[in-house]
Amino acid sequence: MKKAALRQSFNTGIIFGIAHIFCVLIAFNAMLGSLLVKIVGIKSSATTPLASALIAYAVLLGLWAGITAARRKREASGKERLQASLITGFSVGLMAALLVAVFQVLLSDKINPRDYLTNLSFPFMRACLFQLGAFLGIAANFLIFFLSSFLGGLFVFIWNLPAVTSAWHKAFSAPKVWIAKLRGETGKQRRITNIIFYALLFAVIAILPIEWGSYWNYVMGTVGLYVILGLGLNIIVGLSGQLVLGYIAFFAIGAYTMALLNAPEPHNWMWGFWPALILAVILAALSGLIIGLPLMRLRGDYLAIVTLGFGEIIRILLKSDVLTSFTGGPRGIQDIHGPTLFGKPFNDIDYMYLIILAVILAIYIYNRLQHSRTGRAWLAVREDETVARATGVDTQRYKLLALMIGAAFAGLAGAIYASRNAFTGPDEHSLMASINVLCLIIVGGMGNIPGTLLGAFALKGLPEILREVENYRMLVFGALLVAMMIIRPEGLIPSQRPTLELPEDSPNPNPPDLAVRSEAKPTGEDPHDR
Amino acid sequence: MTDNIIVTQQVSKIFGGLTAVNKVDLEVKRESIFSIIGPNGAGKTTLFNCISGFYTPEHGEVLYEGESLRGKSTDVIAGLGISRTYQNIRLFSNLTTIENVLVGQHYRLKENWLDAVFNTRRYREEEKSSIEVGVRWLNFVGLHGLGNTPARSMPYGAQRRLEIARALGSNPKLLLLDEPTAGMNPQETLEMTTLIRRLRDEFGITIVLIEHDMHVVMGISDQIAVLDFGQKIADGTPKEIQSNPRVIEAYLGPGGAALAKKYSRKK
Amino acid sequence: MTADTSSDLRRKSRQLIKLIRPLLGGIVGLFLVYRLYIVLIVEHPYGPDTWTRLLIAGLILGGVYSLVAIGYTLVYGILFMINFAHGEVMMIGAFSGYFVFEALNAIKIQDSNFLNTYAYFSVLIAFIVGMTVSALTGYFLEKIAYRPLRKAPRLVPLISAIGASIFLQNAVELLFSPQLRNYTNPTFLTRGAGWTININHSNVIIPYTGVFSFVLSAVLLIILYTIVRKTRLGRAMRAVALDKKTAALMGVDVDSTISKTFILSGALAGAAGVMWGIHNGLVYYYTGFIPGIKAFTAAVLGGIGNLPGAMLGGMFLGIVESMGPAALGIDFQLKDVLAFVILIVVLIFKPSGLLGESLAEEKV
Repeated sequence: MKKAALRQSFNTGIIFGIAHIFCVLIAFNAMLGSLLVKIVGIKSSATTPLASALIAYAVLLGLWAGITAARRKREASGKERLQASLITGFSVGLMAALLVAVFQVLLSDKINPRDYLTNLSFPFMRACLFQLGAFLGIAANFLIFFLSSFLGGLFVFIWNLPAVTSAWHKAFSAPKVWIAKLRGETGKQRRITNIIFYALLFAVIAILPIEWGSYWNYVMGTVGLYVILGLGLNIIVGLSGQLVLGYIAFFAIGAYTMALLNAPEPHNWMWGFWPALILAVILAALSGLIIGLPLMRLRGDYLAIVTLGFGEIIRILLKSDVLTSFTGGPRGIQDIHGPTLFGKPFNDIDYMYLIILAVILAIYIYNRLQHSRTGRAWLAVREDETVARATGVDTQRYKLLALMIGAAFAGLAGAIYASRNAFTGPDEHSLMASINVLCLIIVGGMGNIPGTLLGAFALKGLPEILREVENYRMLVFGALLVAMMIIRPEGLIPSQRPTLELPEDSPNPNPPDLAVRSEAKPTGEDPHDR
Repeated sequence: MTDNIIVTQQVSKIFGGLTAVNKVDLEVKRESIFSIIGPNGAGKTTLFNCISGFYTPEHGEVLYEGESLRGKSTDVIAGLGISRTYQNIRLFSNLTTIENVLVGQHYRLKENWLDAVFNTRRYREEEKSSIEVGVRWLNFVGLHGLGNTPARSMPYGAQRRLEIARALGSNPKLLLLDEPTAGMNPQETLEMTTLIRRLRDEFGITIVLIEHDMHVVMGISDQIAVLDFGQKIADGTPKEIQSNPRVIEAYLGPGGAALAKKYSRKK
Repeated sequence: MTADTSSDLRRKSRQLIKLIRPLLGGIVGLFLVYRLYIVLIVEHPYGPDTWTRLLIAGLILGGVYSLVAIGYTLVYGILFMINFAHGEVMMIGAFSGYFVFEALNAIKIQDSNFLNTYAYFSVLIAFIVGMTVSALTGYFLEKIAYRPLRKAPRLVPLISAIGASIFLQNAVELLFSPQLRNYTNPTFLTRGAGWTININHSNVIIPYTGVFSFVLSAVLLIILYTIVRKTRLGRAMRAVALDKKTAALMGVDVDSTISKTFILSGALAGAAGVMWGIHNGLVYYYTGFIPGIKAFTAAVLGGIGNLPGAMLGGMFLGIVESMGPAALGIDFQLKDVLAFVILIVVLIFKPSGLLGESLAEEKV
């Protein structure tokens, strides 16, 4: 094997080895392992994980290392691929073995590193050695990585065999053809299938909130609110290209408006749900205008930092004792009364329906805006603000409009959120929450609706379902943001511009409103007069 | 209405210690094709930027239809009827071709966000008519049937033409073209010059161009101004410019005039 | 709406918008003057001893902010991006110093330990380790999260920087637990001890740790300034900052220069982190975040890309943050708000900063 390729495979292994060591030190291996064995029904705890869980994790990582190594060069031969995965497996295995060797030393000398590296308790370290003694544990670590890396390489090898490649292509394209046929050939047929699809979807959505219990209503309700937030932020960031980092401040304004107008403390202004909701949206939009006005000239990165500053100012003010008499202070506002339906207060099912309606409204508005003169103006501003202005777009006005509408979305979501939870407090409106929404639209797909739905579900729904991931959520978000920017900045579902229905070629290429030279010179009526 | 659509009076643009444009006077007649030429770094694009409102000159005035453009922002200027293209093409790459032209029409349309949300008649009608107009402009510049292609995947020559179509969307009276034939082969160049002539002949648009291709310049211009080191060194018809010794020296260097004379005899 | 009224409205609203900035400026200015008047002239809640204490604290804080602000300014000058994760680089330096002191404290020598027997040497080791680890962090940060995005539109590396910042914060939290760590200082640098002077019948302490921080900050700033002005590396950095392409054509290794810039700014942040730990005692994973933003504010205040500006901005912000709440008569809880407000005010009214040059108009 050539020297350069050898070194590359070895380095790949080192990188995976470092990642592995990091994962062990933060107990990520235990968490991931417990998720993996959960699928087959075995329970493994995070602090004292089962050896089987850690083995599952190791195999997974080894496979990935081997696959990466084997895929490095596209034109490599099968033999080269296998060799690459072997070398990588060797170096990863070596590092894994070294790590547990250190663990063994700590165990036998009874040195507890727990004060410094919190996850390295004695039971944990013993589990990393797969509960086998010193020598066996170290050897097992090496072997598992080595072998699974090789397996990964084997997988790639088989994958690249011509027979397999063609079979896969056939298998893949068949469903696509099938689905296309199902949707219909002509425009009319496609419209009918669309209607049937949406009707079915509607029926499902209408029934689910009643059937699936209050836990799911809560989780999916939160997802729904984050969809609204994502769409609102998408108007600001995805469509008009302004990176705003304090977005959650508008959510806070909506939440606090609802809270202050519906709770016995601190003011006992009981305005009722619906008036408060409308006011929340209006106030949020107004604050978008107020915050936006002074910032219109700022460039992208400065705008981001300043909006971050605004968000933090609002949070600090809400949390401080200074404004407690007005806003309830660090404790927040409790016992927020909700809306009533025919005299009965809303229960979780009613809230779910409310959220569904709000989501549908948000999607509808977003969709209409996207395909309009306003939406195109926003996109022009995003693409090239200077040129957009020179082409006739009043960029300042449109940037403010985007901020206001985006803020209004957040205000709506915040008001519903506060009402549903019957509580809101300053800690809910932190910078991290803003970053959550940003992450959601970046990972899902900037500027489009399916991307926002995907992002909301993946980043809000999944962690709720997979409770184990909770501690690692922000870590993964951070890594995801970096990775997405490098690999796929447009998001998982990239935005595609719509295909407009264009009239067929007209034989006379003269637009009607420009006076043609052969006709009389323009009379007093100048088409440019406004 | 004066005879000149745009006039620059003693316009100067100074960046720190560098005077990029030095007291330049231009008079562009209505419905003419006016070219600005000169060696690289002469200040042509800077002058363009002053005319189109991107820069505010330190001294002097730019008069459009007799009114000064000083202090007006570029979108207002676009609304007054001045459109431009750019030296290194600046399209809205992630929009489709037709959408670029629709943005070009932005100033003329009235539909706002409420119209869009409530699907009002104004929205429906304006969308329909603006698309029709847009398609016609696309056809005019020669981009038939390419409406739904993303702008970034168009070939180079088509992108230049798309930029012009976008500039036409606002029904301009004055069109500023910055090196419209840069990077084109003779065939494309010919198509471009035909297009430019048609714009003047069929729509009465005044065209001001920056160009380096002398065949193009001499072939279609009614009037030419020559800049060198920020100053205007000559102004006249193509014939006058061609035989102007100062112009020749600006391009060929000192002694160039004599050189040109020597070799022109040997035709 | 007819065409006329719509354009009239447009013009009127534009005029209105133009008025907003001076109006806002006027309101903020008046408020400040009013508050200062009330506190300084009408009431006298604090005597000169308190003011001196606040001033000392401000100077110490200013030194730290200056060191971190330089990091932001260097990176911005060379890459035109805000290194959002710089605060975390400082935090990592602080943690490294912590571990060094813990380790040296544990090594027993006779009836004391290494830390106190070789106190000066221990401090030196702590700084070297802290600065090295931070420098390495900066280096890998650039290599992994920023270099692949050199050609991307400006928002992309910014988002990547935000992601890197979150990742580093949480990595440290997961590795070392969210628990606040207490720095074990060698005896000669015990926190809270210092020279006492008597002002207004009250003892004002000039802390040893504070003086140490301040002097070290000054030394490091001088060293950095010399590097940038007099050495080859400094010349290369300035060249790349002015015009990347031409610098490359002149034979400057742009990639290596950028890496070295990150290493340098990381080292400074690391020193700032160790200083922070020695003086303030408590560090945890979030320690770097707010000081990071404040240091960025300082850099912007002085003019981003402007080295002396960052130093001055840091000192200014430290003093204002320390003495501001007292001078304005507002709650001390709100001192962070003060820094953010300064940031916003500067960026709205004078984005080029107090000393900075205004960026050239956009080339078309």
